[in-house]
Parts: sequence; C-alpha cells; structure tokens
Amino acid sequence: MILHSLRVTHWRSLLNPTEVGPFADGLNVIHAPNGTGKSSLFEAMRRTLFDAHLVTGKEIEAVRPWGRSLAPQVMVEFSQTGVRYRIEKTFLDSANARLLRFEDGQFVPLADGRNADSKLREILAVTDAPGRGLSKQEHWGLAQVLWAPQGALNLSSLSSSVSENLRTALGVQLTGEGGTRLEELLEEQYLSFFTKSGKPRTGKDAAPILAMESQLAEMTQERQRLLAQQQSFEEAARAVEDARQRRAQARREADALSEPLVQTRRLAESFQRLQSDLQQKRQTEQTAKERFESIGRTIELIANARQEVTGFKAQIERNEALLAELAAELKTGGELADERRRKRDEARLRRASLNQLTAEVEDARGFLDDTKARQTLSTKLEKLQQVQTAFTTEKQSRTVLVAPDDKTIRDVRKHLAAREKAETTLQASLIRLTVRPLQATTATRKSPEEIKTISAGEDATFTGSPEVSINIEGFGSIHAAGPEMDVDALRDEVTEADKKLAKLTQPYGTQDPDRLQLLREQATDLDRKIETLKGQIEEVMGDETMEDLQGQVAKLDARILERTGRFPAWKAQPPALSVLQSALEEQRKEIETAVVQAEDAFDQAQAGAQAVEKRHTETEAGLKNARLNLEAANGRLTDLTKDRLADDARLTARQEALMAWEAARNQAKDYEGKLAEIGEDPQKSLEKLERQFQAQEQTEAAARYDENKAEWRLQTLTAEGAYSKLAACEEKLADLTDRIRREKLRMDALRLLHDTVASCKAAAVAAVAAPVERVATRMLARVAGPRLGTIRLTDQFVPAGIQPEALTEAVELDNLSGGEQEQLFLITRLALGQFLAKDERQLVVLDDVLNATDTGRLTRLLTLLEEAADRLQTVILTCHPERYRALEHALFFHLQNLSNDGGANP
Amino acid sequence: MTFLHTADWQMGMRAESVGKMAERVREERLAAAQRVVQAARDHNAEMLLLTGDVFEDNAVDRLLVRKVGEVLRRFPGPVYVISGNHDPLSPGSVWEHSVWKEAGNITVFTKNEPLELNTCVLFPCPLREKYSSKDPTAWINAHDATKPAIALAHGNVEGIPSGEPDYPIPRDAATRRGLDYLALGHWHSFARYDDPNGECRMAYSGTHETTKFGERDSGNTILVEISRRGAPPTLTSIRTGGLDWRTIEHSVAQLSSLESLVQQLTEIAQPGSTLIRMHLDGILFPEDRDALKRLDEILTSRFLFGALEATGLTPAPDGEGWIESLPAGTFRDAAQKLRALASQSSGTDQQAVASQALLQLFDLYERSRA
Repeated sequence: MILHSLRVTHWRSLLNPTEVGPFADGLNVIHAPNGTGKSSLFEAMRRTLFDAHLVTGKEIEAVRPWGRSLAPQVMVEFSQTGVRYRIEKTFLDSANARLLRFEDGQFVPLADGRNADSKLREILAVTDAPGRGLSKQEHWGLAQVLWAPQGALNLSSLSSSVSENLRTALGVQLTGEGGTRLEELLEEQYLSFFTKSGKPRTGKDAAPILAMESQLAEMTQERQRLLAQQQSFEEAARAVEDARQRRAQARREADALSEPLVQTRRLAESFQRLQSDLQQKRQTEQTAKERFESIGRTIELIANARQEVTGFKAQIERNEALLAELAAELKTGGELADERRRKRDEARLRRASLNQLTAEVEDARGFLDDTKARQTLSTKLEKLQQVQTAFTTEKQSRTVLVAPDDKTIRDVRKHLAAREKAETTLQASLIRLTVRPLQATTATRKSPEEIKTISAGEDATFTGSPEVSINIEGFGSIHAAGPEMDVDALRDEVTEADKKLAKLTQPYGTQDPDRLQLLREQATDLDRKIETLKGQIEEVMGDETMEDLQGQVAKLDARILERTGRFPAWKAQPPALSVLQSALEEQRKEIETAVVQAEDAFDQAQAGAQAVEKRHTETEAGLKNARLNLEAANGRLTDLTKDRLADDARLTARQEALMAWEAARNQAKDYEGKLAEIGEDPQKSLEKLERQFQAQEQTEAAARYDENKAEWRLQTLTAEGAYSKLAACEEKLADLTDRIRREKLRMDALRLLHDTVASCKAAAVAAVAAPVERVATRMLARVAGPRLGTIRLTDQFVPAGIQPEALTEAVELDNLSGGEQEQLFLITRLALGQFLAKDERQLVVLDDVLNATDTGRLTRLLTLLEEAADRLQTVILTCHPERYRALEHALFFHLQNLSNDGGANP
Repeated sequence: MTFLHTADWQMGMRAESVGKMAERVREERLAAAQRVVQAARDHNAEMLLLTGDVFEDNAVDRLLVRKVGEVLRRFPGPVYVISGNHDPLSPGSVWEHSVWKEAGNITVFTKNEPLELNTCVLFPCPLREKYSSKDPTAWINAHDATKPAIALAHGNVEGIPSGEPDYPIPRDAATRRGLDYLALGHWHSFARYDDPNGECRMAYSGTHETTKFGERDSGNTILVEISRRGAPPTLTSIRTGGLDWRTIEHSVAQLSSLESLVQQLTEIAQPGSTLIRMHLDGILFPEDRDALKRLDEILTSRFLFGALEATGLTPAPDGEGWIESLPAGTFRDAAQKLRALASQSSGTDQQAVASQALLQLFDLYERSRA
C-alpha cells in the first residue's frame, strides 16, 4: 500500500479540515508541536482503513471534537497492487462510507456503506477485522508490522494470518493451506491430554490415563492384599498340616512309651509290695526279739532283786554293830580334844609378853632415826646461813655501784662526736690575729674587750668573728676581717652538745666513754654473782621455806626429848638396836614353837573325834539306806514276780520267744532276696518314664491346640474364598492394564505426532526466519555495532532476544537499554517490511519513535530509512523535525501550516 | 462297563485375557460341568470319574464348591473324585466341604487304597501336594485283579516337556501296573497313549471347557467302554465345551485383505459364545483404515469377547496418497517422518507408537477437511 493523501475533519483536535499530501513514495515527515494532532491524523487513517464506518462505542465517541456535535470525517487516497483508491468515511452522526477507484483520470465510486467497508478490507487483505467494534492492532494485517503507533514500537505478537503472509512473502510454507485448522485440531487434541509443558493434564480435565493409573495403583494394592490373604490361606493350611504332624508324632512317641511304662509300673508295684512285706517281717522280728529280751531281762532282774535283798539284810546287820562301836569311840575322843584345847590356849597367852619388848625396839629405832635427821637438818641450816650472807654482801655492792647501760654509752659517744665536730668548725670559723711586737706593748681588743700585754718577741693571739680589731699601744690598731660565718650557731651546737652530755653523764661523774664502759662491765659482773648465789639458796631450800625447816627441827627435838625421858640411859649412850632386836626374836621363837605344838595336838585330837563322828553318821545313813533299798528290792521283786510264774516257766517262755524271733528273721531274709532280684527301686525309672510320657502328651495337647487354632484360622480364610477374589481382582487388573496400555499408546502416539510436528515446524521456522534475522542483524550492526550480535526471532517473527557472539545463550530484550530496544524493534520492522514489499511498495508509519536514540545512532538509522525508501514509503510523525533534517529526499509537512493543498515543504 | 472320564474342570479359574467377560467364562465352566453330567446320563455311564483339578485352587469361593457338588449330585450313578495339584488334599481344601458328604453318590478318595466295586476295581491316586517328584501310580499293583482295573491319577506322562519332574507318570504306566485303563488328569487337551499293540489304556480327557486362547483339543470328555478284564478300552470323545475360543492371526500383505477378515467374522455362527483374539501385522494400506475400524467394531460389539491387536501393522511405505495431500510444510514433513519411523522400527513399541501417531494424524486431517 502507498499513501497519497489524507484529509481529516472533526477529529479530536483537528476541528477544521486538515489535508496532508500528496505524499512522496519515499520519505515523508509530518511535524508539529505536541497536542496539535499528529497522532490524530494517524489514528484517523487507521480507523478509516480498518474500522467499519458504523462502528460505535466509547472509543469512537472519544474522537469527536470536545464539546461539539460534529461527525468525524476522513478521506484517504492510497494505492494497492497498482490501483489507486479513495475511501471517504463519516463516523457517528450520519455515518457513511464511500470507496472510489481511480479510473480514466478520475475517481469513480466503487462501493458504499457496508460494501465499502468490506471491499476495502478485501483490498487491504484484512479479513479478520470486527464488524461494528473497533479494530485492534491484530486486525491491521500487514500494518501490524509496518505501522508503529506512538509508544508502541515494540513487536510482541503478530496474528497467524500475518505470520503466514510473512512466510508466504518469504517463500516458505509452514502449515500450508488448511494447515492452520489442522494445527488447531492437533493442538486441541494434544491439550486435551497434555499441558503445554508436555505433562499429562491433571485436575478437572485430567487425562483419562491418570484416573486409570490411579485405579491401577489402588487395584494393585488390593491385589497385594488379596495375594497376602491367599498366602495366609496356604500358610494356615501348612500350619494345620504341621500341627497335625507334630500331634501324630507326639502320639507315636507317647504310644512307644506306653508298654515300658506299664511294665515299669508293675515292677514298681511289686517292689513296693515286697518292701511292705519286708517291713512287716522286720516288725515281727523286732517284736519277737523284744519279747525274748524282755523275758530275759525279767529273769535277770528277779535274780538281781533276790541278790539285793540278801545283800541289804547283811549290810543292816553290819551297820548296827558298827554303830555301837563308834559311839564308844566318840566319847573317848571328845575328852581328849578338850584337854588339848586347854593346853593350846595356855600357850597362846604367852604371846602378850612379846609386845613390850617389841615397843622398846621400835622406840630405839625411832630415836636413832630422829637423831640422825636432826644432824642432817643442822648441817643444811649452816650452809644456808653462809650463802645468804654472801648474797647480802654482793647485793649491797651492786646497790652502791651506778653504771650506765649500753644505750647511754652509745648516746654519750654520739654527742661527744657532735660536740667535737661543732668545735672544730667553730675554730675554723674564727679570725686568728697573732701579734709579735718588737717591743713590749699592750694590745687592746675593743669587742669583746680584752687587753693583753705583750712582751717583745712574744706572740699574742686574738680570735674573733667576723672581725678582730685591736689597738696596739704605740702602734695603732689592726683590724682583721674574714669571711662571714655563723659562729653563734656553731657555739650553740657546742653548748647544746655539752648540755646533753652533762645530762647523760651526770650520775656517773665522768663523760669518758671508756670509763663509763668499765662501770658497765663491773655492774654486769656483780649481777652475775648475785644470780649464782640466789641459785645456790634455792638449791639448798628446795621446795621448803625456812619456817618449814625450823618446824622440823622443833618436832625432832621434841620426840628425842620424850624418848630420853622414858629411857634416860639413851642420853648417855644411844640404844643398840641390833641387840634389842636379837633378844626380841629369840623370845618370840620360843613362844611360837610352844603354841604350834599345842595347836597341832589339839587339831589331831579333834580330827580323830570328828572322824569317828563322821563314821558314825555315815554308818547311820548306810543303815537307813540299806533299809530303804531292802524295801525297794522287795518291792521290785514283788513286781517282777507278780506273774506268779515259776522260774522254769519263765525260761521256757524265753526259749519260745527266741524261736519266734529266729523264724521272723528268716522270713525277712527271704523278702530281701526277692528285692535284691529286682535290684534298684524301679520308682525312679517309673517317674522318668511318667515324665516322658506326660511330656509327650503335653506336646500332643499343644499340637492339638495349635491345630485347632490353625484350623479355626483356616476356616475363616476358607470362608473368604481368597482365590476367587484374587482371580477377579487380577482379571480387572489385567483388563485395566490393557486399557492403560492402549491409552498410553494413544497418548504416546499423540505426543509423538505433536512433537514431530513441532520439531518440523521449528525447523521450518528456523529456515523462514533466518533471512529476516540476517537482514535485521546486519542493520543492527550498522547502527549499534557488532556487540549486540544476532537478532533472534520467534516463529511469529517477533524479536525474542539477541545472540551476542561472545555468549552461548541468547540474551533477553529486557537486558537491552531503552534506546537499543527501540532501535532493534524499528530495524526488525524495516527488515520485515522489506520482505513484505518484495512485490509491492509498502507504507511504513512511525509515530513519534526513536525518542531514546542518541544522535549518532539516529543518523545511521536515517541512512537505513533512506536506503529502505527504495521499497518502502515512510511517513514519520514527530515534534522534532530537526532530528530528521538529514533525510535529503524527505518531504516535510508542518501540520500547523497545512491547508487544503497539503502544505508540502520539501 | 461304561463310564465317563473327565478332568481339569479348573472351577473358579481366573481369565485375565478376556477382560470383563471373565465372570461369564467362569459361569460357562459350571454350565459345561452340567453338560458333562448330562452326557454321562445320555450315554448311560455307570460312573463318573474326575481325575483331579476339579477346582483351580483350594481357596475358591465355597459357594462355588457347593454348586459343583450339587451338579455332580444330580448324576444318578456314583461319582469318584481324586484331588489334583491345584486342589490337593491339604488342610482347608475344597474336599473338606460338607457337600461331598451330603451327596451320597460322591466319593472323594483320600487314600491310595483300591476300591472294589461290582464291575471293576478302582485304584485312586489322590494328590496331597502341589508339587512332587513321585509317581502317583507307583503304589498300584493290579496284575492280580479279576475285574477291570481302573486307576484315577493326576500328573505328567513322561515325555511331556514340563521342566522339573512333577508327578511323573511312565508312558507305560497302565501296562506296568496291570491296569485296564488309567484315567489321567492335568493336561487340558485330550491325549491318548497307545501301547505297542495300538491299544489305548491311558488317556488325558482334557478340560471339559476350554480355559484359554490357543488351547488344543479341549472342551471334551471321554466315554470309556471296557467289555471285560484285559479287553482294550474304547474311547469316545464327547464335546462338552460351550465356548469357542479363537485366535486369528493375519499378516496383511495385499490391499483390501482386511475385508476378507471382516467377512470371516460376520460368518461366525455363534458369536455370543465366541471369544476372538485377533493379531494383525504386515502393511497398513490407507485404503484399509476403514476396514480396520470395522474389524475393531465387530470384534467388540458382536462377540462375547473380541480383542484386536493391530500395533504390528506398519503403514505402507509408499502409496500414502493422503500424506501427499496434506498441506505442504510442517504436517507433510511430520507425516513423512512418522511413516519412516514406523517402517524402520518394525515390530517394536516405537513402530506401534509411530503407526498410531500416523493414524491419529490421518483422523485429524479428515476432521480438518470436514
């Protein structure tokens, strides 16, 4: 299509008729400031070409000039396939349309009203535009690619017919005639089973196979359950079988034990019976034995009793005789004992004569001891007296001696040194003036006044400080001065030192430290002596005091005096203690010997009497006992013989008992022989066999219990008919599996068909889009350089991204700058336009585009637009005409200057 | 004497290959049992011998056991039964059901003990386990029998390939044991074992009703006649099966050959009791697509059961005129690819999928043109 001219009246801001044209076949630029109607022109052209004139609605109402009831009117002149047409449309009020064709130098009506709309769409190959509604961009046909409204330069999608047209224009058929419908059917079929991503559909419209697979999973689970039930049935049957086997085996083993058990039981019973009989015979034997022994004992006892009776009678007679003899002896012995007791007592009375002599010996010993103690005490008192006298003397000497201590001596030495140092310094500070006159004279010092008479040739010295002035008679005065020193302070120091020394040494009478030290040593020596004497006193005294010692002396003297009072001879001659003691011992020995002899005689006599008395008593007791025993023996004899049997009869009875005993013993031996034949007690073997038998029966019972239990379970499972259910389930499962297989085959086939078609289509698209991509890529490289790489188009011929050479994957368009994006879209449109204009020039409309493109790239784009002008008619709507001034062959239209003549300004 | 020998009723067996018709197939086995009893009556059989596997499993529904017992009860003569490897005499077996005692004419043998009857001596060999390597007839010694000696056994006659020995029975078992006739069960097809003299003294009756597709000589019972001890038995096969199991395998090599199959199906007389499994392979010509559809329709609608397996068909490598008529471009390219895929991978799953995909494309193409 080529646009020749355009006239718009009553359209938005274009109130008055505005006509633009005639347009150049190449480049055209319509420019005007914002808000003056550039985009309205473009809009009016699109509505007129693509909308029906009877279009209604808010959007068409909006094109009516504001506040006016004016019907929008548009006239467009264009050429299509070499034929020139004019379309005139009035919208809204009195809407009408008229299509005219240029014939023989003039426009001749071709169609009007709806026919004009239809015919126009047919001419422009726009078949899918709406009837009364506004057309959308997808209804514009090729203009979708070639016309870029304001702010819509990008290409996001194209209608399938346009894509097909493009493919046709590119000489490649993707689906061919009727292929679109087939493609739609395939897609519809595919989407009824799969999602676009190729997964089976889920949810409400899920693919049937999902339900079948779900059912299969459930049935598989059910089959597993039934299979387990079937296996349980077989296991239960096996369990019953096993239990029966166990029970039968236990029964067999129990049966095998039965015969030995019966035999052993019999043997055990025999054994027990024999044992019982044996025991009985033993008891009989014992009884017989006891009878035999009892009779024997009775005979023996009777004999004994008789013997005892005889013995006791004889004993009584003997004792009675002995008692008479002992009574006489008892009388004689008593009299002898009395005589000897009297003699003993007399001997004992002589012991009293020894007491006086013993007391004298004791006094003599005491006297001698006291005398000796009195002498020792006197010696001690004398020594004590001597030491105390020496102690008193030394103590007095020490009291008289005054001596300094060590500290005082050290202080004296310190103050002496200080005074010496002060005096030395004082002497050094004085001015010493020595005068030796040739003749005798008198020298007078003024202050302090001192007058010295000096002989000829004699030295006279004056000292003072800080000066010394003297008047020498006959000579005059001499004044000597020295350095100023503090002589007074030094003198004070000397004086102070003297005071301290005087205070320290005043008690001792000397300031000589050596003498003071000597005094100190004398005092120390005295102290040591005093301490030594003190120690000696304490040693003599011990723990006693002087009063104690004196008290002891008094006591000793008193006892000595008392004894000499009783024994006056001891005053002259102290007693001989040993003589006294010997006399005492000799007398005592004599008396004690007599006493012992008398006592022995008495004891002997008394013992003899007591022995007789004892024998008498014993004899009396023996007589009594013999009488009692006799009585008891007679009693026993009476008891033993109460059977009134004769002794011979008893002997006969004992013989019979002996014979019975022997018989019973022989019978017991017979039973013992029989038991020995059986051997050990079979009871143990019997018990063992019983236990084994019982164990087998328990095993059998347990097996029977298991069998019953398993049978019960088996019956329960049998009633289930597990196999029948399993069979039915497996049949359903097989049927379902087959249906799934078929459905899967159907789906796999559909997927294969879909994927194969998609792959063929992708290959075709790749082949179709490649030339466009190459042209567009070359253009982009000329504008933006090679950095952006290759433009990639979708099968709908819209840019999908770019493929920089340095990268392996395509880059999405969002990653490009705004300027680069608009350049890429414009270039794609130009590239597609060139292919679409292969057979016929095509109109390109660019409404206010390239606003984000910099000047350099804009210049290169303008070059591309100029080159494209060979195939494309381009109409640029802009408010920046200066940006397009570089287009040398472009026609410029200033919208404000437009008049009915079109206002072209080349 | 005359008696009927039958075996392997396999009552309650699963029929996985017939889809939803499995229950019907099971019911038909019971009906066939009734026909066996009726045949025995019709031929005045003195007794009925069932040589094992009367039931498919010991865990079948007990109601079914009773039904079978009731069927046998209707026979006026005695019925002698041994257990087989499918229904061995084990705890919980079908033979513990009360119906066998309730029916006075039925004897279920539980021991290897001969039973002397008025006209013959029976040597039963009931099985107690599913598997065994022992000859179940080994215990028989009928050489001294004065009456016809007839044994009932279940197992594999030596020579039948069955892997490990499983209840093996010598080929000359009847002669070796001194039997006049050895009634066998286990194999579902009728089979007789003639001795060197050409006399048949042992035979499998086969199942009374076919159990699956491809089963040869099944659905029969045998009427046995023995005139006296030592005389060769006369065996007569009697049809008792009610279902017709057919497997049709056809390789398409020529155009329109499917039409003959359509014709063949329409000529089957008893479609209501016929089960058909059809396998097709070879070449699928575009012109045969309609016939293929009709085959499928007839199989699924006319017969008791019908299944068509046509995945083995490969689209014709050339002559696919409809492909050339597809819109030039993507679809035509895709169709050619699918055709090549189907041809190159013959017999594989991929071939089946590719063929199916091509068929689907054809359908879509037809719809797009409608």
